[in-house]
Amino acid sequence: MPVEAGILATFRDPGAAASAIRALREQGFVVRAAMPAPIREVVQAIGSPRSTLERATIAGALAGIACGALLTVATSLAWPILTGGMPIVSIPPFVIVTFEMMVLAASLATLGALLLGSWRGGRPRVFPQDERFQVDRIGVFASGGDESEAERILHASGADGVRRVP
Amino acid sequence: MSLASRWRRIDEAVRLAHQPPGRSYWIALAASAGLAAFGGWAYSILFREGLQWTGLMRPVGWGNLVVDFVFWIGIAHAGTLISAILLLFRARFRTAVNRVAEMMTVVAILTAGFLPILHLGRPWLGYWILPIPNQRQLWVNFRSPLIWDAFAISIYLFVSIVFLLVGVVPDAAALRDGATGWRRGLYRALALGWRGSDEQWRHYTRAYLLLAAFVTPLVVSVHSIVSWDFAVSLVPGWHSSLFPPYFVAGAILSGVAMVITVLVPLRRAFRLEDLVTQRHIDLLTRLVILTSTIVGYFYATEVLTALTGAPDDPERSTIVYRMIGPYAPLFWLMVACNCGGPMLLLSRRVRHSMPAVLVICIAVNVGMWLERFDIVVTSLSHDRLPFDWRLYIPSWVEWGITLGAFGWFFFLFLIGLKLLPPLSIAELKEEATHAG
Repeated sequence: MPVEAGILATFRDPGAAASAIRALREQGFVVRAAMPAPIREVVQAIGSPRSTLERATIAGALAGIACGALLTVATSLAWPILTGGMPIVSIPPFVIVTFEMMVLAASLATLGALLLGSWRGGRPRVFPQDERFQVDRIGVFASGGDESEAERILHASGADGVRRVP
Repeated sequence: MSLASRWRRIDEAVRLAHQPPGRSYWIALAASAGLAAFGGWAYSILFREGLQWTGLMRPVGWGNLVVDFVFWIGIAHAGTLISAILLLFRARFRTAVNRVAEMMTVVAILTAGFLPILHLGRPWLGYWILPIPNQRQLWVNFRSPLIWDAFAISIYLFVSIVFLLVGVVPDAAALRDGATGWRRGLYRALALGWRGSDEQWRHYTRAYLLLAAFVTPLVVSVHSIVSWDFAVSLVPGWHSSLFPPYFVAGAILSGVAMVITVLVPLRRAFRLEDLVTQRHIDLLTRLVILTSTIVGYFYATEVLTALTGAPDDPERSTIVYRMIGPYAPLFWLMVACNCGGPMLLLSRRVRHSMPAVLVICIAVNVGMWLERFDIVVTSLSHDRLPFDWRLYIPSWVEWGITLGAFGWFFFLFLIGLKLLPPLSIAELKEEATHAG
């Protein structure tokens, strides 16, 4: 898959990477990063909005509540078994099953949304591949501007490697 | 040392744990496999010849296998507690121990999940507890706590596996590129195409937090539901509104003690002393002290509440029977192990002595098993009908299955240690970064 054209720099120091990202963004570059751990200052410098993954979680939770309620109420009404003089539709015990179903569906929905978001954010087209970004380096990728200017900013920020991609 | 060097050291330390195992690992694996096989053989006797091989007889219809089930569900709680609740509270010390605890959770549920089926007289009908559309003219009763158990435990297993594997994703990516052979294929599959981009981390950190937020009430609900297996009945000694928090506190105590029990030899065997430090163990032992005092409070509340009853109150009779009856030595050993032993950890010298910590935590595990025995067996053997009272003594077949459950747990756990990274690499790197 072709990689978007731009400048890729590697950093050892999170502070230097964060300042490079801020400088590049001020110059109007589109900047992305890759790192072995969620490093706070780099994530803040990128300035991406918070993930809206919880929408999927909430949708999953609501679906789970609906499934749990339907399973317990509808099947108990369809097959009424009298036990201990309790009503056929007994809300307190049914809430327990409904709660468990909610947790299951919400977790599944969160997992599904994570896999989708992770797949979209991990495509080679989005960020050049380099195994060091999972081990001991921070990658900063700048595109959408004057490449010489990006190289200058990255060198000035203390990058230990700068190259043009592709 | 530069940050990049520290990050590489973390990778190397975890990679070392996955080197070809030494003799002690093989001995431990063979011993646990042997125990599991012995348990399997003991169970085959029950399967072929029936429950006559157990010590069960009216009125004691639940014995060692139910005790084991409650014990292992309790053990399963610490993983999620350490991982999810401490994540929500931003407790940094979790990073070095959470992976081991999560693996322990999954393995403990896999152990516990079998036991209620093994306990059935006709285990091949165990699937009747599932709400499956069928032609048998049967449907489950959603008002029964046994059905709540089936839902709670199967969902807890599933969500715990998801929580564990989601945590492994960035770590598998870190190990993927340096691995060879089948291990490379395994890490590639577990990494799910992870590249560590900011976009991936943005979703990942949110998803992990959301999963933790869902798993936390699930932990509390699962052991509360297990306690309702007893509490919604009318048996003296069981019918108590105290049970859900009592069971949850006990589960956390036993689970944390088991985490320490496996972590102390593990850090030495895999040379992880630099990453799983004395401080981590120290903080876990403080958690043992805290939960031990909570459990002690519940013991005292249970006894004092019962003693305030009338002399002919069955609740009072059952509690007095526990304390001075034929099972009294087990009761007092339980109190000593769960309330007395952990208080020794108040001494810094004891907390910093690994052999002492290990002995106390093993004693807590023994004590917690005895607590479940005490609850399950003494209540049944001393029910409301005096003519019915009878002592229950587990048969060797039941002890065989109990030992087999321990063997099965450690067998799966030892295999898991060699397949998955035993430490959370990404979280350790994050901690190393922010520690300066």
